[in-house]
Amino acid sequence: MDKKLGVYICSGCGIGDSLDIEKLTKIATKTYKVPVCQTHACLCSRDGVNIINKDCEAEGVNTIVIAACSLRANQGVFAFGNDRIVERVNLREHVIWSQPAKNEDTQMMAEDYLRMGIVKAQKAQLLDPYKPAEEISRIVMVVGGGITGITAALNAAKAGVEVVLVEKQDNLGGFSSKLHKHFPINPPYQDLQTPPHEAMIKEIKANSRIRVYTDAKIEKITGAPGLFVVSLKQKSEIVQFRVGAIVLAAGFVPYDATKLTHLGFGVSKNVITNVQMEELAKNGKILRPSDGKQAKNIAFIQCAGSRDKDHLPYCSSHCCMSSLKQALYIRQQDTNAAAYIFYKDMRTMGQHEDFYVRAQEDEGIFLTKGEVVSVQPVAGDKLIITVEDTLLGKSIQVEADMVVLATGMMPATGIKIEVEETITCNPEQCKPEDIAVPSDVIIPSDILNLEYRQGTEIPQLKYGFPDSHFICFPYETRRTGIYAAGCVRHPMDIGACIDDATGAALKAIQCIELTSQGKAVHPRVGDMSYPDFFMQRCTQCKRCTDECPFGAINEDEKFNPLPNPTRCRRCGTCMGACPERIISFKDYSIDIISSMMKAIEVPEEDEEKPRVLVFMCENDAVPALDMAGAKRLKLSPYIRVIPVRCLGSVHLVWITDALSKGIDGIILIGCKHGDDYQCHFVKGSELASIRLSKVKETLDRLRLESERVKMVELSINEYSLLPGIFSEFMETMEKVGPNPFKGF
Amino acid sequence: MQDILIIGGGISGITTAVEAAETGYNVTLLEKNPYLGGRVIQMNRYFPKLCPPYCGMEINLKRIRTNNKIKHYTLTEVQNITGNEGNYEVTLKINPRKVTEKCTACGECSASCPIERKDDFNLGLNTTKAVYLPHELAFPYRFVVDTKACIKCGACVEACKYGAIDLNMQAETIKLKVGSIVMATGWQPYDASKIDNLGFGKYKDVITNMMMERLAAPNGPTQGKIIRPSDQKEPKKVAFVQCAGSRDENHLPYCSAVCCLASLKQITYVRENIPDSEAFMFYIDVRTPGKYEEFYTKVKGDERVHLIKGKVASIEQDGDSLTVEAEDILSGNKLRVVVDMVVLACGMQPTNGTLNNISRDQNGFISQVQGNGIYAAGVARKPADVSSSVQDATGCALKAIQSVVRG
Amino acid sequence: MADIIKPDLSVVKQIISSGGESLKKCYQCATCSVVCKLSPDDSPFPRKEMINAQWGLKDKLVSDPDIWLCHQCGDCTAYCPRGAKPGEVIGAIRKMTIGHYAFPEFLATMVGNIKYLPLLIAFPVLFLLAVLGATGHLHIPEGEIVFGHLMPHTIIDAVFVPVFMFAAIVFAGGVLRFWKNIHGQCNGKCSFASIIPALISVKLEILAHNRFRKCEVNKGRAIAHMGVLYGFIGLAITTALAVFYLYILDRHSPYPLNSPLKIIGNISAIALLVGITLMVINRFKVKAQAGIGSYFDWLFIWVIYTVVLSGILSEVTRLLGIAMIAYPIYFLHLVSVFFLFFYAPYSKLAHMVYRTIAMVYARKAGRD
Repeated sequence: MDKKLGVYICSGCGIGDSLDIEKLTKIATKTYKVPVCQTHACLCSRDGVNIINKDCEAEGVNTIVIAACSLRANQGVFAFGNDRIVERVNLREHVIWSQPAKNEDTQMMAEDYLRMGIVKAQKAQLLDPYKPAEEISRIVMVVGGGITGITAALNAAKAGVEVVLVEKQDNLGGFSSKLHKHFPINPPYQDLQTPPHEAMIKEIKANSRIRVYTDAKIEKITGAPGLFVVSLKQKSEIVQFRVGAIVLAAGFVPYDATKLTHLGFGVSKNVITNVQMEELAKNGKILRPSDGKQAKNIAFIQCAGSRDKDHLPYCSSHCCMSSLKQALYIRQQDTNAAAYIFYKDMRTMGQHEDFYVRAQEDEGIFLTKGEVVSVQPVAGDKLIITVEDTLLGKSIQVEADMVVLATGMMPATGIKIEVEETITCNPEQCKPEDIAVPSDVIIPSDILNLEYRQGTEIPQLKYGFPDSHFICFPYETRRTGIYAAGCVRHPMDIGACIDDATGAALKAIQCIELTSQGKAVHPRVGDMSYPDFFMQRCTQCKRCTDECPFGAINEDEKFNPLPNPTRCRRCGTCMGACPERIISFKDYSIDIISSMMKAIEVPEEDEEKPRVLVFMCENDAVPALDMAGAKRLKLSPYIRVIPVRCLGSVHLVWITDALSKGIDGIILIGCKHGDDYQCHFVKGSELASIRLSKVKETLDRLRLESERVKMVELSINEYSLLPGIFSEFMETMEKVGPNPFKGF
Repeated sequence: MQDILIIGGGISGITTAVEAAETGYNVTLLEKNPYLGGRVIQMNRYFPKLCPPYCGMEINLKRIRTNNKIKHYTLTEVQNITGNEGNYEVTLKINPRKVTEKCTACGECSASCPIERKDDFNLGLNTTKAVYLPHELAFPYRFVVDTKACIKCGACVEACKYGAIDLNMQAETIKLKVGSIVMATGWQPYDASKIDNLGFGKYKDVITNMMMERLAAPNGPTQGKIIRPSDQKEPKKVAFVQCAGSRDENHLPYCSAVCCLASLKQITYVRENIPDSEAFMFYIDVRTPGKYEEFYTKVKGDERVHLIKGKVASIEQDGDSLTVEAEDILSGNKLRVVVDMVVLACGMQPTNGTLNNISRDQNGFISQVQGNGIYAAGVARKPADVSSSVQDATGCALKAIQSVVRG
Repeated sequence: MADIIKPDLSVVKQIISSGGESLKKCYQCATCSVVCKLSPDDSPFPRKEMINAQWGLKDKLVSDPDIWLCHQCGDCTAYCPRGAKPGEVIGAIRKMTIGHYAFPEFLATMVGNIKYLPLLIAFPVLFLLAVLGATGHLHIPEGEIVFGHLMPHTIIDAVFVPVFMFAAIVFAGGVLRFWKNIHGQCNGKCSFASIIPALISVKLEILAHNRFRKCEVNKGRAIAHMGVLYGFIGLAITTALAVFYLYILDRHSPYPLNSPLKIIGNISAIALLVGITLMVINRFKVKAQAGIGSYFDWLFIWVIYTVVLSGILSEVTRLLGIAMIAYPIYFLHLVSVFFLFFYAPYSKLAHMVYRTIAMVYARKAGRD
């Protein structure tokens, strides 16, 4: 594309009162020889936008620099179509709202930002969405035929999508099919209901859009969203097909009760699990295993192996409801039977409280809080349960004919607890400190068998549950196009599984839709840029494949990276990682940012006007800076901000370049990392901090103080900290003195 | 013709809207407030990560700003719904914002306005001018005139250089045709003054959990400093009273599913803000399901946090402190704790509406399936935390799409 | 050492069927223990009674003095978030306890169950008719109305003294067993010698109604109960005076209206009537918050009504000279008094005995 730049400077919102607009115009027209430059008193008004539109039509302007307010304001107003490049220079929030008016430093700041914007616009290229050679598959594959899987399959099919449903057992239904009854999940939340799977399985069989493979195991999945190739082994036959996205609904396995001998499991036949209880109830009469007699007193022990640091530390969410339900089974069978329930906390959340009330109406259900210490068999096939800290007394013993352990759930993805060997760099290529990048926990649970460089399954957070940025965007895993749902993701009851499955099905369909348009999925939804690898200069160091938080890049046998653009989330972490700087996006590259830095005018040392470069995460830190501006917080006039997609994309060369150009200091402001990370790309800010720890070596080489580079974690709502962060850094700069490289 | 109408612009409604739009459908999002974001935007942090809701909201608002398949209306209410799946006609009333699209959010109007009003965003803990920006991340990022407070003096009209203020703007009624409808009408906090033995409204330092969110928020009325409303002093001892009106036949019979976690979270606010503080949480059952248990364990591990099983049944003011009384059930003795401030963990009450084609359960939550093409998402359907609401809302997008596909 | 407990479903059923039907609704939040102004700080009631009752732990319940410290104000019931009505449940537990200590127990079962009511009434009716028949008085006497003509005082004494003695013996047996059960919880502070002063101070407290005055929801309860209690005391004094008049002064009824005996008697009867009526009104007034009470409670109320109304009406009709009404009503009066005393150890009236004992215990154990 032949570029024709147009620079439009707004003088509204006080910009014209604070800045010398004419001088700004001169920078565009004189320094950068921009062919079209206009100013307007209110650029976002219909009149203002019309000027730009007219220039596009009449003058053929196709690269538009708007020097006005924040990118986040008027985003819809300043949209000129996919065939034009738009670059925004924020003179309002970042300059005049946080700097004194009619001031030399303020003017210099605005001029620098305008230069940076123009340079960026000059360098950026028009985006060309990724179109793979093969056709995008629009099929959704659902892995797991339990209630979550069949819900996902059915709901995707009902939206007109082709579905493949894979189940390792020889029938669908999963745990739901083992249940005698289910506790109520619909209003009025009172009565036990038939488990919902049967009707749904019928619907699945009747739906021509759903292909079901039972007794099937996934041998291998290769490819990427829209382009997955699945090899399936059904009995002895290998089946191969293509799918576009995957819903992982592999479910759970009950916690291994043999580890609960202190609760009598394995010691007495009459101690069973809640799963066994369902089987007994489903088969008709609930009889005591030891002698087949009807049990009169049955004790339920809640949190058997749950909420227990020696077993499962978490709560399995459904067990309180399930035991209340099973207590009703007993009572419905025999009106003289008694069910004792020992709980830690009765967790009948939300409207489930109504069912708790319902169960409490039953005179034969006995409830108390308490910590069960032991279950011991005594004569007559009876069991003595010792419970402490009960509501009935400090320590009590109760006799029962039978004990039911309310055991919890373990995610199917967490079963083989052998962490895959940490993959490090090619020893010949990398320096020892590079190994510091922490590898992900990926348990080879033999479910998806992905042919991904970083491991065969979805990365896990704690306890073997697949990862997810689980508050705002619960479906985002770090394997694009693969969405976990149901008990594999979080312990939950059937009602929650159904809700969760429906959402995951939507995400799968959406991923295929966006991929087919060459667009990124969350969090840069709709982004049409993707990384380009200049392979001739690749040294096979494996940094990019190692550090990509999303496992987007595979390798060939010679360690050459094999990018999968449809897996890519466009964070640029690979770009920041590559020591050879061979990775770039059309609108975001090492060169673009370097050029922007070069556009900053660094005053001579004797002017005593230091310059500090701030790389800011555009998702959180930049909005925080906007808010600081909107609040008219006064910020240091010596900072120059460059928004970045993620701190993970910050390349160390930018830092060395900046320092060697005379910039006095550099701050990286990004999201919190660690267990409670806030980084939208999961690992970006963490990787940045690891890389930064290595920058010291470079600084030493340049004989510069390490205080010149700093990383700050900032939450989006902590904008009020910004003035302090900057002024404190300026004090440090004053202490270490000006950069000796000024003027070189 | 729009495909899907979403009523309610909180986290659930926003989620349904963006998820459906990104899947390729045209959606319209309605919100009765002058800004999107609903209740979550008033929160200081989310449990268990203790991250600010603005963070995810900024991403969501970006998704709305950059997606031309999403139309949104603020200050808008639904008056009537007729028709059936695939073919609904909805009548909307758009209340006057009195500030037009010309607004650049420069703030000159507010500076000139002589009238102060109670800031509802901060639950009345401070005031704003009668022409105001609801909050820093308000979307649309535009000022709004509080019609009730405004005296039409015209000072703002004069101050605005862009002619963006029209004090004579009238409510407008429009009709919309849509294929399916998602009710994401959310909740309101239970009115704590109805719980006569807990002293809300009687004692200034008895506050609700929502007020605590604002007190702890950096953009709140105190810039994030937790202080007592009565004397602006730092409370050293804070009691958290769980199930304040929840699991209670006399008030809300159901459990609101989030209050235990919310209070544990707020305990971290207090402990972080005031290092020598002590927190007391009185509960019936601590309900931290699933992986949230870890957060409970973490907060419980702080030795200055005391968890007491026993519901608070009496709060009395004594000088400038409050005496909270409960039975410490596990010890079997009555306990009176003297504290500086009490936070009532008030539950969520579904926003009620007057639309006659919406059926509700015994607790006022909307039943999921309303005929074929109307669905409920998030807390409109059941009490839930943010994450579950987002899941539900995402699923609801698919349900709504199915209606469009069928219709 | 672990306490071995024996949950008993039949006990649960018993409590549920005798006015504690809301028992199982309790989820142990302990709101009740806090809102109850009578409940001590150290192991307060009624929360622990609720769980013991939910588990059917009869041994714990019948030997629990706290159930008698409850004055059924209904504050707990009003604030109970679950509608478990602890006040009503404790009432049912008291009923069970009365039955437990009474002998023979079947009589307690009969008093507690409406279906035996005809039988319970039939017994005194037939017995007194038989007595009238045997003594040749089974007709309306002629002439001036003198109730002694229907049933001479010798016969009255011959019937009612044994009835009274029977009740007293049954009470004594119950009290001894009850004391034995609670004595152990007294931490050795309940020595026999120290009981008398405690008993006196408790009696004074009962007369003053200090505890009743702490009721919040049912504020009228103190006055109502005072009316009933003082009414009964007045009637007891009247009876003693009557004995004095008859056997010492040899003055026979009817007495003139201005005689001290008549004045005290009539005032007491009116106090009783007003008290019991206030009680009924209060119960209806706070029905929604504090509960309406069980059959067991109401039986007691109706018996008192019958006693007091039949007493007043027989006096009025006597003064009006309507023999055809006066004598039958007097007969009804005798039946109801018989009913009241004979069944006292099995009825709610027993609370005056057990509550007094429990309050003595509480005073000694420092639980008030």
